[in-house]
Amino acid sequence: MTATAEITSVTAESFVEAPTAAAQTWDAFRRNPLGLIPLAILALLGVIAVFAPLIASYPGGYGADVLQAPSGQHWFGTDNLGRDILSEVVWGTRVSMLVAVCSSALAIALGVLLGVLGAYFRRIDNVIGTVVDLCLSLPVLPLTILVAALAGPSLQTIILIIAFFSWPEVARVVRSQALAVVNLPYVDAARVIGGRHTWILRKHVLPAVAPVIVVSIVLTASRAVLSEAGLAFLGLGDPNSWSWGRILYEAQQSGAMSSAWWTTLFPSLAILLLVVSATLIAIAYNDARNPKSRQR
Amino acid sequence: MNKLRTAGATLVVAAVTMGLAACAPGKKANADKGGSNSGSSSSQTLTIASTTDVVNLNPLVGNSRTDDWVTNLMYPRLLTINADGSKQPYLAKEWGYTDGGKTGYFVLRSDFKWSDGTPVTAKDVAYTLNTIKTQNPKGGVVNGFMTNMISAKAVSDTRVEISMKRPDSILVPEVGFWTVIVPAEQFGQHNPVDQFTNTSDWISAGPYKLTSIAKGQSYTLTRVTPYPMAPNGTPTVDKVVFKIYPDVNTEILALEKGDVDVIANALPPAQVSVLQKQSGITVEKVPGLGFTHMTYNMKRKPLDNVLVRQALAHAVDYDAIRKVAVQGQAISANSSPITPSLAEYADPSAKEYTFDPNLSKQLLQQAGVSNLKLNMIYSMQDPVVAAWASIVKSDAAKAGITINLEGMDRNTYLAKTTNGDYDIYAGSFAIMDEPVSNMALQYLPDGAINYSQVNDPKLTSLIEQAQATTDKTQIKSLVQQASTYVRDNVIDNIMYVQNLYVAHSSKWTGFVVKPSELLSILDPQSLANVTKTG
Amino acid sequence: MPPFAAFLLKRLGRALLTMWFAITVTFLLLRLLPGDPAVAVASTNMDASMRHELLKQYGLTQPLFTQYVKYLGQLLHGNLGQSFTQSQPVTDVLMSRLPWTLLLTGSALILTVLVGVPLGVIAATHAGRTVDRLVQTSGVIGQSLFVPSVGIFLLFVLGLQLKLLPIGGAYDENAYGLGWYASVLQHLVLPCVSLVLVSLGSYVLTMRATLIESLGEEYCLLAMSKGLSDRRVIWKHALRNALLPTTTLLGLQLGFMVGGAVLTETIFAYPGVGRAIYEAVTQLDYPVLQGAFVLLAGTVVVVNMITDLAYGLLDARVRTA
Repeated sequence: MTATAEITSVTAESFVEAPTAAAQTWDAFRRNPLGLIPLAILALLGVIAVFAPLIASYPGGYGADVLQAPSGQHWFGTDNLGRDILSEVVWGTRVSMLVAVCSSALAIALGVLLGVLGAYFRRIDNVIGTVVDLCLSLPVLPLTILVAALAGPSLQTIILIIAFFSWPEVARVVRSQALAVVNLPYVDAARVIGGRHTWILRKHVLPAVAPVIVVSIVLTASRAVLSEAGLAFLGLGDPNSWSWGRILYEAQQSGAMSSAWWTTLFPSLAILLLVVSATLIAIAYNDARNPKSRQR
Repeated sequence: MNKLRTAGATLVVAAVTMGLAACAPGKKANADKGGSNSGSSSSQTLTIASTTDVVNLNPLVGNSRTDDWVTNLMYPRLLTINADGSKQPYLAKEWGYTDGGKTGYFVLRSDFKWSDGTPVTAKDVAYTLNTIKTQNPKGGVVNGFMTNMISAKAVSDTRVEISMKRPDSILVPEVGFWTVIVPAEQFGQHNPVDQFTNTSDWISAGPYKLTSIAKGQSYTLTRVTPYPMAPNGTPTVDKVVFKIYPDVNTEILALEKGDVDVIANALPPAQVSVLQKQSGITVEKVPGLGFTHMTYNMKRKPLDNVLVRQALAHAVDYDAIRKVAVQGQAISANSSPITPSLAEYADPSAKEYTFDPNLSKQLLQQAGVSNLKLNMIYSMQDPVVAAWASIVKSDAAKAGITINLEGMDRNTYLAKTTNGDYDIYAGSFAIMDEPVSNMALQYLPDGAINYSQVNDPKLTSLIEQAQATTDKTQIKSLVQQASTYVRDNVIDNIMYVQNLYVAHSSKWTGFVVKPSELLSILDPQSLANVTKTG
Repeated sequence: MPPFAAFLLKRLGRALLTMWFAITVTFLLLRLLPGDPAVAVASTNMDASMRHELLKQYGLTQPLFTQYVKYLGQLLHGNLGQSFTQSQPVTDVLMSRLPWTLLLTGSALILTVLVGVPLGVIAATHAGRTVDRLVQTSGVIGQSLFVPSVGIFLLFVLGLQLKLLPIGGAYDENAYGLGWYASVLQHLVLPCVSLVLVSLGSYVLTMRATLIESLGEEYCLLAMSKGLSDRRVIWKHALRNALLPTTTLLGLQLGFMVGGAVLTETIFAYPGVGRAIYEAVTQLDYPVLQGAFVLLAGTVVVVNMITDLAYGLLDARVRTA
């Protein structure tokens, strides 16, 4: 949560981009190994998610070899029902990324809408700002647990819950970014001339907040993966689909976490890989866009 | 000056934390009081780990398993139980019926004493039974066996008589086993009794008594003397501590390290062989006395059709479930509600449903049902069921049946169960000790655990006949007829009886193993006799 | 000091609003989502009418608004109600747990600051260089870890293999006097370390970013041109500025941690509020849940007030603004 605050606050410094800025940004980004490598990893995970059925068979049913250590036959070993953990991780990539993408898309849509509206229409800004602040001070994880337990476990519920509790953060950073733009002389001028609200919003405000949105998408999505894993670990995940969280949950339930390290290590690594890559990309993107750090 | 600011900011946070940390010593004072007789190096402490925290220490209110384990060490049962479900004397040394079966009685031992020095008498027993009958404390199970009870009366210090509306062969043994006797003097001051929290000034009949509690962490008991079931009337351990480990993995690590001596909850099946191989750890087998089953909601279409239920019963690979999910630690129930553990009643000719997806398809076709989609509910707090649920799903798919798994938190599950809001219910019962009463609860239309929602006149009549007689051979014959009927019509799908395994440090010996997770190796008679050798 | 009084009043109003919001959200969620608390506590043979009787006892059959007003009134008298399953006052249920959560999160926060400030300074002063990349990357890795996996690993290595630290609980039941405090510390180490590991990343990243910014600002450049040593500039001027936003962040983070410690408490068997909340959820114990959220919100509000006040006292700009 706080990482977003930091990264986007840096972004707020450099809001107006020259036409060549995008090219410059890409140029700087390309030269940063801490940006490129994570990007490649994320792309790879995306490919795995899309082509999961071609890579591994669906981990259903059971197998005869229970809790086998990694071997030539099962690269990542097997779980307490003898299922192949590699296939679980591969198919888990799909569900975990789906949860990440869907919940972050929802959170971004809501957050951007309210953030931009708040910044643009001063009259409702106070209300939106207060609501956002109030939502930010809610104890998020306990509330998430509460809702997930009462509403019953399913993928949709989980996506909705995560989205519902991550939009305020997005709204906050988008609003502060949009405020900076709205106060600029040329936007004010457009208003005075009588430009249509939608036109001003689309032409001036949205492009200015776009970079913040990019960063938010990446960070919200990666946090969603961790949230989903946490919920699943507490037994609040969807038992019909394989997410990384569910693999960890089954390892925990079967008491195998310490004696069969492979049941825990591989899904944890997958989560780590995804979240780290996403965060590093966000940081590198910001550094690349920030002329100050570009000089260094 | 600038340093000052830096320091200031940190100080604020520090001050908050310190202030809060200062709350802690208050807890310590409690602990000091509790453990006043400890500290000598010769004193022995047995530390028991459990995954569920204590919810309520009032033994008349049913809640978590840990509640039972702790309170069992303080409040005696009238009867205890053997691996085949037969009742054995505990506080009561004789029991039975007089007056043509319309009066039940218990004769008590006279050597049980409460820790305040007063003897445990028939008055305590009568108080406990009457309170349960009239108040039905929330969460309790005993009241369910008392339908035919009018009231209990202490006719002498050691004899209790129960007057009944009509003869009821299950009332005395079931009430005798399920009730724990509480001190009338103390509990009688609280009305309604289920509001009594029992969080201090405990009075125990032994072998141990609570002395201090640290919510969420540990519950400490110390020895009570005299306790008639221990050598020389003195329980062998000075202190028994229950420690809470919400995660079973941490719990296993704590046992391996020696931070705890016993893991009370049943081990996850896959960990049994792992721990058996470890030196310093002993794994004990606790015979199961319950069963795990699936029921099909007969109030819903097309599950009211026996062909559809048969199709479902033939679309499960029971062997694989027992072999893989339960790691071979379960025996087949032969698809009969009277499982082989109830040796006296079980029908040896009963046969398990075969796994035959093609037969399932045929049966469905015969029933004119296609594209069958069902949901199955189970509790995520039951890890073994949660593990095999996916096997059921993939087996059913082979017969063209789609099963949507709805694993949920225990409470939502209970709510759905109570409201009959499911197609398939999967779950287990820990103790099914009396065939007649179990069948009455499960298969009579108003039975408390009638999860198949069955209302079948023929089955009802068989069960009601069995309830009304006290003749053993007649009961056996009726019970077997009823169980065959249940099996053939798939009114219930009993899948297996699971034997449980618990682990303890090899330094401790002398555990007595009792059936089911409820008694296990934590039964008072067991813990009053264990010794540390290493 | 009227401006300061006004500032204080505004903050107080804000705090009350925040509390009200948290209370209302919890209240509504519990009643509008499905779930029947009577089922959780009923005996096996209670029929629907008897369960309805239970709900009536709990006051859950009244109209929503009546329940709400009653609850708020109760709260104003400092009464959090009585637990459904434990029959005890909610205060008793939670107060025995709260100190442990506060000890755990408080010490994790202090440690985060103590480790985070120097790391942030190192990263900022070496921006773009290998050290910086190393600090950044490890910070990012830290905050991306899945707590239970790390927890089991730490317990396995430091607890079981090296036998350095105890496994589970908050203190040793057999320790007294000074030894008791020592055992509290021993039990605190692992859960605290794993919390620090996850929270350190964002703190260091924020520190680094704000430091880089203020190092580029004029007064720092001026100080440097005056010939002050780099160290002096960083520690006396730039860091001072960077500490202000990070102080506020701390307040936010504490709230996050107190609630977010559920997984940590579960894996380390630490008897805190987070675990109590999880258990109350599985038992549908509404009063305990509501009480827990009041406490959590209260803690966050109090800590935010303290950091705000500290902020205000430290920085005159805020006071006059």
